[in-house]
Amino acid sequence: MLTKKLQPVQSFLSLVSRSVGHFPRQHYDVIVVGGGHAGTEAAAAAARLGAETLLITQKIHTIGALSCNPSLGGVGKGHLVREVDALDGLCGRAGDWAGISFSILNRRKGPAVWGPRAQLDRQRYREFMQSELLSTPRLTVMEGSVEELLVTDPNPEQPGQHRVNGICLANSSHPISASSVVLTTGTFLSGSLFIGQTTSPGGRIGDAPSSAGLSHTLRERLGLKVGRLRTGTPPRIVKDSVDLSLATLNPPDSSPTPFSFMNTHTRCRPEEQLPCYLTYTTPGVERVVRESLHLNCHIQQDAKGPRYCPSIESRVLRFPGRRHQVWLEPEGLTSDLLYPQGLSMTMPPDVQLRLIREIPPLHKAEIHMPGYGVQYDFVCPTQLSPSLQVKSTQGLFLAGQINGTTGYEEAAAQGLWAGVNAGRRALSKPPVALSRTESYIGVLIDDLVSRGVTEPYRMFTSRAEFRTSLRPDNADLRLTLKGRFELGCVSSSRHQKAVRVKNSLQDALAALQALSLSTTSWKRKIPDVHVSEANSNMLSGIEMLQYKDVSFQVLASIFPEVLLPFMEFSQRLKIEAVYRPHCESNKREIQRIQEEENMSLPEDIDYLSLPVSLSQEVREVLHRARPSTLGAATRLEGITPAAVVNLFNYVCFAEKRKKTSHGNQRRQKEGREEELCASLPQ
Amino acid sequence: ILVIKCCLFQGGLADADTIFALSSGYGRCGVAVVRVSGPASATALRSMAGHRLPPPRTALLRSITDPLSGEMLDRGLVLWFPAPHSFTGEDSVEFHIHGGPAVITAVLQALGSVPGTRPAEAGEFTRRAFQAGKLDLTEVEGLGDLIHAETEAQRRQALRQMSGELGHIYRDWSHKLKRCLAHIEAFIDFSEDELIEDGVLDQADRSVCDLQSQIEQHLRDERRGERLRSGVHVVIAGATNAGKSSLLNTLCQRPAAIVSPIAGTTRDIVETAVDIGGFPVLLSDTAGLRESADLVEQEGVRRARERVQQADLTLLVVDSTCLPSDVQRAAGFLSEHLRNMCLLVLNKSDLLPETQRQKLKMELRGVSGLPAVCLLSCQTNEGLKDFLTVLQSSVKTLCGDPLAGAPTLTQARHRAHLQQCVAALSQFQRYRDSDLALAAEGVRLALTSLGRITGRVGAEEILDIIFKDFCIGK
Repeated sequence: MLTKKLQPVQSFLSLVSRSVGHFPRQHYDVIVVGGGHAGTEAAAAAARLGAETLLITQKIHTIGALSCNPSLGGVGKGHLVREVDALDGLCGRAGDWAGISFSILNRRKGPAVWGPRAQLDRQRYREFMQSELLSTPRLTVMEGSVEELLVTDPNPEQPGQHRVNGICLANSSHPISASSVVLTTGTFLSGSLFIGQTTSPGGRIGDAPSSAGLSHTLRERLGLKVGRLRTGTPPRIVKDSVDLSLATLNPPDSSPTPFSFMNTHTRCRPEEQLPCYLTYTTPGVERVVRESLHLNCHIQQDAKGPRYCPSIESRVLRFPGRRHQVWLEPEGLTSDLLYPQGLSMTMPPDVQLRLIREIPPLHKAEIHMPGYGVQYDFVCPTQLSPSLQVKSTQGLFLAGQINGTTGYEEAAAQGLWAGVNAGRRALSKPPVALSRTESYIGVLIDDLVSRGVTEPYRMFTSRAEFRTSLRPDNADLRLTLKGRFELGCVSSSRHQKAVRVKNSLQDALAALQALSLSTTSWKRKIPDVHVSEANSNMLSGIEMLQYKDVSFQVLASIFPEVLLPFMEFSQRLKIEAVYRPHCESNKREIQRIQEEENMSLPEDIDYLSLPVSLSQEVREVLHRARPSTLGAATRLEGITPAAVVNLFNYVCFAEKRKKTSHGNQRRQKEGREEELCASLPQ
Repeated sequence: ILVIKCCLFQGGLADADTIFALSSGYGRCGVAVVRVSGPASATALRSMAGHRLPPPRTALLRSITDPLSGEMLDRGLVLWFPAPHSFTGEDSVEFHIHGGPAVITAVLQALGSVPGTRPAEAGEFTRRAFQAGKLDLTEVEGLGDLIHAETEAQRRQALRQMSGELGHIYRDWSHKLKRCLAHIEAFIDFSEDELIEDGVLDQADRSVCDLQSQIEQHLRDERRGERLRSGVHVVIAGATNAGKSSLLNTLCQRPAAIVSPIAGTTRDIVETAVDIGGFPVLLSDTAGLRESADLVEQEGVRRARERVQQADLTLLVVDSTCLPSDVQRAAGFLSEHLRNMCLLVLNKSDLLPETQRQKLKMELRGVSGLPAVCLLSCQTNEGLKDFLTVLQSSVKTLCGDPLAGAPTLTQARHRAHLQQCVAALSQFQRYRDSDLALAAEGVRLALTSLGRITGRVGAEEILDIIFKDFCIGK
């Protein structure tokens, strides 16, 4: 069953006028700046939490625009989409609404690394996002350009040197105040666009550059350290001009798998799906790149290139003499354009045309819009706490490319997380944590705030230490219940569904466990399966399900009365059975990390002068990184176990001193009791 | 405070593994105490010292046996401390055994074969005690230094200093395994979008296979540091009729080898295990070295030479009556027979006139390039005491000076990690075709185990290799 939101979008234009027409209130709980993948999730999450929220974007009709590739998910990124969905975020359902070609990548490599992915119809994705946001209670959407942040003195009860309590719009004398401000400005922070030798200010072609005031405030007023990154996008190609018979057809899955746990099918019917095409670069491509290097500003400014190769130029320069894959992807059901994934380039438009025509299916291709490069400022994310709030500035949250990441999914994940925490702050609730042991979102946040970035950060499954536990199939079990009660961002209907799923899975596993038969009986019942003779004792249904060729359906056909009620979960049960032993062995290590993460380090520690035995090197590392928990400290490069122990001791004593002085204010007796308790073994 | 304290030290520094270590000082002493802590303590005690657990905190005299072979290792006191009334707060066991290195090593080896146990890391008992709230915070101030011994930097440092060959081997494995993991991860994360040939996986298959068999081979063959367990190989060699078999009989205090005045009496190798100063020694008597037309004796001489090649220490026996009477020439003569690690035994000293004995003793001592020289008479046992002192110190050097550290413990730790590494690699093989994620998990675990010897490998290091070896686009 599709959710309500998957019904055709009706009359969203009237909702738009509602938002724009009204003069905004003077105060909101949360203001979100930017309407991209981070901004939309942030605004929606804050509103779900119960915060009165304002989303400010340059143009409402570009909300939910896919600035680059028309696709969502993939290996690692698909994990993020599933997790955002499990926390009731938008992008999973938007993908199900807008998807026109679904496939599970890595299908043959094991469920822990399956990558749900879809090609999207750009128009439909925007429609969904805009309709969803404009009908979200407590959320107001407004067009405008933010000129300035309102910075004031910090709340002395909390750490931080500044406080942000609102924004000023360009062309407006009325500031709007807010308890929390979330900046999701993407590539617009001091963004410059590059094509060939021309450079112009801006974050995306066709949009006005954002005001210099914001960038100035972050750097000069708040003293944040910024770095510069670059990205790029390929030319869009006229579909009719491409000879697709020269490319390899790559069909989607015959039965589309939805991203969202709430959907059983996608809007696009299986037979409506459009295929992708695969082709390869030729030596001619390499030649054109080399010949045009002197015309290519973006590539020449190769200050600190990433380890991977975002553009065709860096591909052929770093790996010369090889052929490289180019995917020709549909841009929409009715779009007459193709998106050549892998051909991001920044040379002059005429050279771009020459280059693509070196590729056989594109030998007569026409370019609709040339590719271009973008350089932009990002705020070094080690200056953020795990709630994505700027450590030095109360009330200011950052999410998305402004934190040095790349990718829609990475942005959406951070947006949701920043929105949750911005909302909680506004509603005077304590910040919450999401551990890297329980989610890819946690891995992403922890990597960003404790390690920082040197190149655009992108999610890979190899970044997750507990990959076998953090699977796309179980994101709801991992996050939805927590999202409802601990975070407050999950609706009751989604929560109820997750509870039902959880109970059914538990019941089914218990039923399987109870099916205990001898090896010989199993062999009689399932003759084709080779049950190892060494297992002379009894085998449970779960153990049988661990065999490669035994499916839940097979077991259900043998024990229909017990197992048939659980048929809808057959795939999840098979995965659970196989992965269970491995997840069990992960548990101890997971527990350890979680416990270390629970011990937070005060944000105002001055590591350089801390009266604790720490080497100068360790002090500098801690000073630079300012880890928020002991767990994050242990993962920093150069931190010795001895330093961790000393740090731990210091925090314990500091804690104790605080308690004691607290106690003195109370009655003497009470204070003593507390001291006594603290010095007793548990 | 204590709650937080417990959080920190749970697991990472201590966990549900059962750990064991020698708690008394290493080296020869009257009584040695081996401590075990963790959930498998009771199992260890039952499988090594009788099926019934002794009453808590009561010393009982028991035979201590190897849980696998049933062989008796020692008789000693055992104590059973059920949780929480123990130093660490966990189930604990103490073995009070005889203090010779051979006995200690045997008991530690036996404990290592009990499922769920492993050698303790430095300071681990203290950490567990701390975790259980058995230590005051102030007592733990010193803990930092204790743990310091296990920092990554020092681990790498230790590896660099590790005797050339072994360090080289470990580093090489770590490097191969890293690359192997990087290629598998590249295949998992990127092969659907990027051009990563299937051949990458086949190559990883071969690497895993190679590594697995290399490490297994290493675990089987490893001699270094294990002399304490299997004994130092001491070979007696020399010309025919120099008195080699007599020396063997003298050392093992029984007529293990046939002794006769006929040259070429010993034709095959005669082996016997002896205890020299608390260290186990495998003593081999060999055929006298000479050219012979006798086929059987030729084979005996070939075996003798082979055994000398493999020896940890050679006792070169020379008939002192055959020495040139001029001491300078005698030194030259002896030098010709030298090997790397050897002691010179000038036998039949009773047949030399007293003046000649004194002269040899005085003058050979100062000659450079000559190893320790012992004048000895197997007939009268004259000079035996001095010889034994020299032999004992050589054996001790070969086993490593136990007082200077605990080489066997380090070695046992390496061994445990290498065994885990091999087991993890077999997980790769098991899942290679059905589930690449679980297979890769095996390689990750293997690298983690190896990393405990060679230094931790982080995700970024793996990504570095991926991006260097493959063209990964956006």
